[in-house]
Amino acid sequence: MKSRFRIVMLCAFVLVFAALPAFAAGTVLKIGQGAEPVELDPQNITDNPSEEVCHNIYEGLVGFDVKDDKLVVAPRLADTWEVTPDGKTWTFHLKKGVVFHSGAPFDAAAVKKNFDRLIGGNYKRTSLFKPILSEVKVVDPQTVQFVLSQSFGPFIHTMCHTAGLVIDPTLIDAKAEIKKNPSGTGPFKFVSWQKGDNITLMAFDKYREGKPKVDTAVFMTIPDDNARTMQLETGELDIAERIATFEVERLKSDTNIKLTIQPGMRVMYVAINALHPILKDPNVRRAFNYAVDRDAICKSIMKGFARPIDSPMAFAVNGYAPVKGYAYDPARAKALLAESGWKDSDGDKILDKDGKKLEVTFWSPSGRYPMDYKVAEAIQAYLKAVGADVKLSTMDWAAFLSESARKPDENKSQMLLMGWSPSTGDADWVLRPMFHTNQWVPGGNNRSFYSNAEADKFIDIGMVENDPAKRIEAYTKAQEIIVGEAAWITLYVLDNVNGRRANIEGLIESPLELLFIKNVVKK
Amino acid sequence: MGRFILRRFAMLIPVLVGVSLTAFLILHLAPGDPARLMAGVEASQEDVDMLRHKFGLDRPLPVQYAMFVKGLVTGELMSLRFESPAMEIILPKLKNTLILACASIVVAVVLGVTAGVLSATHRKSWIDYAATILSLFGISMPVFWWGLLLMLLFSVKLMWLPSGGMGTFRHIILPAVVLGTASTGIIARMTRSSMLDVLRQDYITTAAAKGLTRRLVVNRHALRNALIPTVTVVGLQFGQLLAGAVLTETVFTWPGIGRLLVTSILARDLPVVQAALVIIALLFVFVNLAVDILYAVLDPRIRYNG
Repeated sequence: MKSRFRIVMLCAFVLVFAALPAFAAGTVLKIGQGAEPVELDPQNITDNPSEEVCHNIYEGLVGFDVKDDKLVVAPRLADTWEVTPDGKTWTFHLKKGVVFHSGAPFDAAAVKKNFDRLIGGNYKRTSLFKPILSEVKVVDPQTVQFVLSQSFGPFIHTMCHTAGLVIDPTLIDAKAEIKKNPSGTGPFKFVSWQKGDNITLMAFDKYREGKPKVDTAVFMTIPDDNARTMQLETGELDIAERIATFEVERLKSDTNIKLTIQPGMRVMYVAINALHPILKDPNVRRAFNYAVDRDAICKSIMKGFARPIDSPMAFAVNGYAPVKGYAYDPARAKALLAESGWKDSDGDKILDKDGKKLEVTFWSPSGRYPMDYKVAEAIQAYLKAVGADVKLSTMDWAAFLSESARKPDENKSQMLLMGWSPSTGDADWVLRPMFHTNQWVPGGNNRSFYSNAEADKFIDIGMVENDPAKRIEAYTKAQEIIVGEAAWITLYVLDNVNGRRANIEGLIESPLELLFIKNVVKK
Repeated sequence: MGRFILRRFAMLIPVLVGVSLTAFLILHLAPGDPARLMAGVEASQEDVDMLRHKFGLDRPLPVQYAMFVKGLVTGELMSLRFESPAMEIILPKLKNTLILACASIVVAVVLGVTAGVLSATHRKSWIDYAATILSLFGISMPVFWWGLLLMLLFSVKLMWLPSGGMGTFRHIILPAVVLGTASTGIIARMTRSSMLDVLRQDYITTAAAKGLTRRLVVNRHALRNALIPTVTVVGLQFGQLLAGAVLTETVFTWPGIGRLLVTSILARDLPVVQAALVIIALLFVFVNLAVDILYAVLDPRIRYNG
């Protein structure tokens, strides 16, 4: 029996060790991501981790530089560009001598092939370009023209989007599985993908700005915040993304680690259903805004890693205007509610009007955004303090998205805690989807069913206007109207907190929650 | 024995139909639209509808179930999230979880049986008390907390072992110990009590009266008989480890099927969840069958005839 038992145990050992894979060695830069990328076809992704890896493999004609925490449109594969006075034709002059990882040359035909694929296909980002882009023309090998169906003010910002990254045309011709075997002109070449564990990239020696200083980059999937932080502390990771705020103080005392705390692009807000019998009154919405102490939430719950904001768009968004909002003033909130006829007639501390209580439901995700449910609880308490009975409930993200995207007559949402980060970095991609009348869910993303003809007019001007000054003016007016009517309880901009080992230099951190590693030096 | 195994295999069919149907119905009845989730927050209704049609999510439920079964049998089942064959995603993760579960069971059997035997043979001594306390400690320790604690000590403070990932032998030590901790306690408790039962039997007294050494009596006569209930527990524990490795896999970033299941449920990647559940059920049945067969190996009196 003993020998049989030993054989069983030996088999188990052999199974364990034989199956352990060999691990790559060499000089590597290891980056810990909080979620696994879904795929690496830039035209078919909507998740942040995939976008980040793609931005290190591919490049677009233009991209965002980060200056003083602001996004600035800058040349990438195009040197210069111009637009015709009618705003319908954009001409890009391309860089010479650029090659894809496969060795194929980069030229205007490659750009045309990419955008023809995008607008002619059924990709997740097709709808970003299809409604506006009529045709892409090759003028000569170094010149490409984008013909739009109408003037589109945010076009150059949209070109900076991940969907505008240029895929190696040989892959498109070969109908290759781009999502698994990507190739671009970017600083790193794709090597391998161990699903659920890591994506390995290798420095591209023919990169147009010179070969990157690190030979290998490994994007590791480490969903657990604690584990990611610990691996940074032990040196198993060189860079850890999205450090949990409660870890920051501890990490600050570690001389081997450097932290970057930067305002991001994501504004957290409470969408208020403007069709709801109680909430359609702007005075009630304004009262709710005055009732919530955003400074206290940022300080106590967000531990200082969020910044109160009045505009519905983050400071770094092109078109942001510092509009006048609602400073914490519970007395003013009560006065506004009284003005609208709400009073506590039965002494139960809940206001009522015409026999109806001031009762609203409030949906919050739990774990989707940092401290989301805690923040929702605080808002519930603040609103209760001014006489509103807020029923808070949570659901998982899939259910939350579906339930809040129902048609107006089927939609049961009244107040929703959400966040929005415009991936084009432009005001158009905040104001149009969030507030335009023709963008009500389920067709668009306007979950508060907000509608104001004047705001729509300014949003439309911003969309078609190409003069940056006129766009800013239109967006400022739109923001004033939207904030004035308290379409949302606008809360704060989340900070992005990333950690890196002290020997890592040259990392570019975008407010769009993307890391660029082309200039990284590991000392 | 052959007919016994065949009969057990035949029982697999209703089990698998039951598991796949239950998983399918629960997942489809749960609120949340996979197409909307895949399309992302910024997507338009047009994008959502396009994806819903692309993956057949707009077809009637019986048709979707038939598509799932066909996909599972032919191996053409596609993940909604990764748009790749579901088996390509599941099988490598399953292999990783099996590695972790095997390593954990090795840890649990070696430590658990040793502790159980020592505890029983040194009844009411400090060894017994220590083993009992440690067993209870192992059973009651929350995996998440225990994992972080060991990681803090061995990875962050002492820097002896990596805190996560998969690659070398060193990577598996901490997750295997953490995952095997509860099973160690259970196996130790079971071995102790069945050893105590066996040590009271007459044949043990006879063996000792024949003049055999204490070691021979324990190892050759008592342990073999005491191990039968332990083997049952080991079999059940192995099944538990397969399904219950989620927390350990999360803490130690071990790319296994538990973590895949959680992320796939949250992402409403229905084909992956359904297929993974069917595979886990299949494994559970196989492990239990293996345990039944092992009884016959351990105890010659047990025979499966007809």
